[in-house]
Amino acid sequence: MSARIAVLVFPGTNSEDETFRILRDCGGDVHLVHWSHAQTLPTFDAYVLPGGFAYEDRIRAGAIAAHDAMMDHVIAGAQAGKLVLGICNGAQILLEAGLVPGTAAIRRPTAAFTGNGPVPHFVCTHVYVKLAIDPARCAMTAGLGHDPLIPAWTANGEGRLAASKEHLQELEDGDHIAFVYAHEDGSVDDSASPNQSALGIAGLCNREGNVLALMPHPERDAWTLNHPDRRRGAAMLAPSGGAVFFRSFVGALQ
Amino acid sequence: MRGCSNRAAHPGHRLADVAVALRPDELARIRERLGREPTLVELHAFDAQWSEHCSYKSSRHLLKKLPTTGTAVVLGPAEDSGILHLGEWNGERYGIVIAHESHNHPSQVVPFEGAATGIGGIVRDVLCMGAHVIAVADPLRFGTIDDPHSHQRYVAQGVVDGISAYGNAIGVPNIAGDCYFDSRFDDNCLVNVVSMGIVKESEIIHSYAPRRADGWDIVLVGKATDPSGFGGASFSSLTLDAQDEDSNKGAVQVPDPFLKSVIMRASYRVFAYLRELGVAVGFKDLGAGGIMGCSAEIVSAGGYGAKIDLEAVNVAIEGMRPEVIAVGETQERLLWVVPPAVTPELLRIYNEEFTLPEIAYNARATTIGTVTAEKRYVLRYHDQTVMDVEIDFLTGSIRDDLPFTEPTVPAATAERPLVTGVQLDELIERVLAHGDVCSREPLYRRYDSVVRGCTVIPRGAGDAGVLAPVPGSSLGVALAVAGNPRMSHIDVRLAAEHAVYEAVRKVAATGARAIGLTDCLNFGNPRKIEHYNDLVAAIDGLARAAGRFNSPFVSGNVSLYNESANGRAIPASPIVSCVGAFNDIATVVTMPLKSAGSVLYLIGTPQLALGGSVLLDVLGRSDEHLPRIDYDATIAQHDLMYAAAQARLFRSAHAIGNGGLITAICEMAFAAMRKGRASIGAQIHDAWQWTHGSVGDLEAYFGEAGGFLVEVAADDVEAFEGLADDVTGVHEIGVTIERPVLVVDDQAFDLHRLHSIWNTPLREVYP
Repeated sequence: MSARIAVLVFPGTNSEDETFRILRDCGGDVHLVHWSHAQTLPTFDAYVLPGGFAYEDRIRAGAIAAHDAMMDHVIAGAQAGKLVLGICNGAQILLEAGLVPGTAAIRRPTAAFTGNGPVPHFVCTHVYVKLAIDPARCAMTAGLGHDPLIPAWTANGEGRLAASKEHLQELEDGDHIAFVYAHEDGSVDDSASPNQSALGIAGLCNREGNVLALMPHPERDAWTLNHPDRRRGAAMLAPSGGAVFFRSFVGALQ
Repeated sequence: MRGCSNRAAHPGHRLADVAVALRPDELARIRERLGREPTLVELHAFDAQWSEHCSYKSSRHLLKKLPTTGTAVVLGPAEDSGILHLGEWNGERYGIVIAHESHNHPSQVVPFEGAATGIGGIVRDVLCMGAHVIAVADPLRFGTIDDPHSHQRYVAQGVVDGISAYGNAIGVPNIAGDCYFDSRFDDNCLVNVVSMGIVKESEIIHSYAPRRADGWDIVLVGKATDPSGFGGASFSSLTLDAQDEDSNKGAVQVPDPFLKSVIMRASYRVFAYLRELGVAVGFKDLGAGGIMGCSAEIVSAGGYGAKIDLEAVNVAIEGMRPEVIAVGETQERLLWVVPPAVTPELLRIYNEEFTLPEIAYNARATTIGTVTAEKRYVLRYHDQTVMDVEIDFLTGSIRDDLPFTEPTVPAATAERPLVTGVQLDELIERVLAHGDVCSREPLYRRYDSVVRGCTVIPRGAGDAGVLAPVPGSSLGVALAVAGNPRMSHIDVRLAAEHAVYEAVRKVAATGARAIGLTDCLNFGNPRKIEHYNDLVAAIDGLARAAGRFNSPFVSGNVSLYNESANGRAIPASPIVSCVGAFNDIATVVTMPLKSAGSVLYLIGTPQLALGGSVLLDVLGRSDEHLPRIDYDATIAQHDLMYAAAQARLFRSAHAIGNGGLITAICEMAFAAMRKGRASIGAQIHDAWQWTHGSVGDLEAYFGEAGGFLVEVAADDVEAFEGLADDVTGVHEIGVTIERPVLVVDDQAFDLHRLHSIWNTPLREVYP
């Protein structure tokens, strides 16, 4: 029996369908699990928290959802070694839940995705993210191969990673910085980040490597038709670009 | 008199004291028909239902001129949205649901909330047809925004933030829009909103009670009714008076996209349940006129009456007056008409599975009344009948025949090419920095253009937004908006034709075939003859162009009284949106230049008519001559666009509009600029070589007569020219080159510099 993936739907989640589709297209046995069915979550083998505005992003993005009953099950699963992936709002929730970087107590965040810089407005723009750890460091990135560059869309108002100097140091020392923003040619500099995120951080993982928080959306550049530079005559319905990331995730479960 | 004892308005009651906009002659009609004084509730009900906003009393008979039928029309303008046939996939017929309306008045008073509730309302119009909502678009018209402390700047910022906050939160991509800045919108901004949905044609839900619905339940869903938005319908049918600012603000509703997001998802679940049952029901958005307007329209459209118990309505505060519960326009509400056997599961899905009462205070689905065979509309409150009228008298079409005359149209005269003495380099820079030309990226990057994962062309990458709305299928849909206020004050009929032409042209530029249109007609006070003349002429122009382009109107909206108390009216603004279809999304064409060494063609014919152009505006000149539309030539050009896109002969394409050909070339090059990528520039032959002197250089480079600029790879030139053989107006005008420069004749312009000029102006407003 193949591993079962739950895509969680909180009140206010809005990216569940495309996240579901790409996981399914990559061969995952994937199910949408809605907040009023939280009690079914322990039966799943992996959890994916999609984008959106869970609980309206009240207080801070992810702050309320981190205390939702669904997160009790996700936290228990993460501690038991299950794979947990959060994208955009899902990433914000994982940080607020303290699962990533996971260096302090549960629900005691040491870093947060906060209001974008230089101006704290919603920004929707195409980006690339680059793996900044050894692929084998995280189970779900192990299938990415060396030096992968993944196309994605950033679409958030609070995507800038912020943490104290000590905690940023901890992220670097503990090899938690899984993804950084990059240019299309793979180069990395300050201008690659759309929001002045600290250290150009686009994604963070926990110490054990089973929980990953990724701010941009690879599922929105996952089929050829989504990609701005698709070649003429390309098979528009074929997975592409961002699908590589989800294939690696599903691969880690097999 | 049928037991209407409660709170009758006093005879001779001053209408101003009860804050209604009914005219004395309308009130007299009501008194006569009822045979008594109306109750306060009835007064407010007629006020809302007979407002211009609900009744279209001065425009409905004019709108009959618009073509509304055709092979692609699944549902014409009769319900909350129109539906166009998109195509078939796996034996299923798919329809595109489309609605278009305005939220001008509220947005001028409280921009963020006004614009946000505009998105909220238009989305419900699409949802209630049984559709999944797949896109929104936002044609905007603002005043001058140069002064950072002006109300106009505040409006321009607040509106964009409101649209962004609402659309992003509910997870519907914003894929199209346009934006103009003009001092004539200083007192009245225009916030038009368009929404699109996808539905299997076999699963459409209608906005009327179906056959044999006598005794069915009327179920209200959504936010607890509160006093916000009381008097909204008549508010938007009056001119704006600054003195009434506070009461105007109270007429604007409060948006709750978080609740809407949950209601949408719960409704999708209900759709699935109804599909299993195979039962026809009615579903309708609550908009103007609140519970009263929606429930009266949904039952009367099916030939029924209704009996509603206002006490059953879930309210946000106790002690609300019955007229406020009945006609208040609280957002985030919808209304179902369902057989009683369906009601328990409907309530369970909304209230338990999707936990509405936990999402917002006292939000829920609740049964509030019954459909009746007797065609009366009855409201009960605390065991008293507070309204009891013939439903057809309430909802039936009332009509105002207002006087109008033919607007004067500038006579065509022989013209000569424009000669300015201004250098081309200076003109290019001033045109690119013009408010109607410069980059909209600072604005649209605040909109989520890609949520749902179906976006093929997001904002900024093409003239129309394009989606693949049925995952796993090759079907595609394009959406574009248009309407140029610089043209409409010269000749509103021709400007309306141009609005259709531009919307169709933008869709054609992506390789789609236009299948239908919607419109929003934004005008001043129709009781002033000059504005009513404009409305009559605009509808005439829309009808003519839509007929020629074989693109029917399937939905639309009329927004009148866009005028401030001091009599300043907006320029006549017919705004059009166009839906295009792709059978195979692989034939889509985008805007960025793709490679050096391609051949550039102009498809279109420049004219000696610069009236309404950006060029004349930057030169501070005016001219009464708008470009004419040669329909035969234009239709042949659009056919060529479609055929060449089908044959995949275009590397890129762009519709020519504001700022003309030079602007189009620059925008195609700008869109291709990316760090770490070789730049692509363009070399344009001297205009004489392709105009042969029929127009001057300035008309050729900056004229806004329309047409397309297309990039054809050198290998495809022969095939393209073969297709273009019989089409008039196809001119080879240059090539793409490997340097970031635009070369016009023998002058070279640095594209990075031009990009910075084009890219900067709106950044200060939308940092």
